[in-house]
Amino acid sequence: MALRTAVLRHLRVPVTGSNQSQIGFLGSIRAFSSHDDHLSKQEVVDRVLDVVKCFPKVDPAKVTPDVHFQKDLGLDSLDTVEIVMAIEEEFKLEIPDKEADKIDSCPLAIEYVFNHPMSS
Amino acid sequence: MSGVSTAAYFARRAAQKERVRILYRRALKDTLNWAVHRHIFYRDASDLREKFNANQDVEDVDRIDKLIGHGEAEYNKWRHPDPYIVPWAPGGSKFCRNPTPPAGIEIVYNYGQEDNP
Repeated sequence: MALRTAVLRHLRVPVTGSNQSQIGFLGSIRAFSSHDDHLSKQEVVDRVLDVVKCFPKVDPAKVTPDVHFQKDLGLDSLDTVEIVMAIEEEFKLEIPDKEADKIDSCPLAIEYVFNHPMSS
Repeated sequence: MSGVSTAAYFARRAAQKERVRILYRRALKDTLNWAVHRHIFYRDASDLREKFNANQDVEDVDRIDKLIGHGEAEYNKWRHPDPYIVPWAPGGSKFCRNPTPPAGIEIVYNYGQEDNP
């Protein structure tokens, strides 16, 4: 599990430290840009949990930020695909097929959405 | 003759499951392309899910391969000619449109003062 997350971390944009992100942020601000809202982690968590809770086959009481779709919620692999698509629609993202196949649990989904530069 | 549960068998089954998942994902997105209104989309999505669920207990590896082949052929038949792509993604309208300028470039605003500084 740790190896898997370590490998997955190499496939995504990592969140840098606070100093670096400040300077990088200043360098990337553009006036009148339509992409200047970076979500906060709490907002991402709340929205992802809302999406999972609204899924008809899921019991809303069991949903926590570190729940695994197949092990904890008892969902099918096709249900996981549906949830990933719902998260894509919620955050207006386009996740490539290989990446979407790897998203298996809530913490992975939250991490992917948070690290994606274009999530809104 | 695929009764022996070796590592190769499991690897093949895992590859098939991944193919099925990717096929389901693409078919669902295509359904969303064709059926834009949500109530129609939900109906078509449940039909698609029924089609996938009808074959989920097949154990014979070759038969699974054939079914996946049929499914992919049908997906290719039904692909939308103008799919919705998120604008900033490859193929969308905003892709590569306003790239961030390279760092360290400064614009000096001295309008009309180039000749007499």
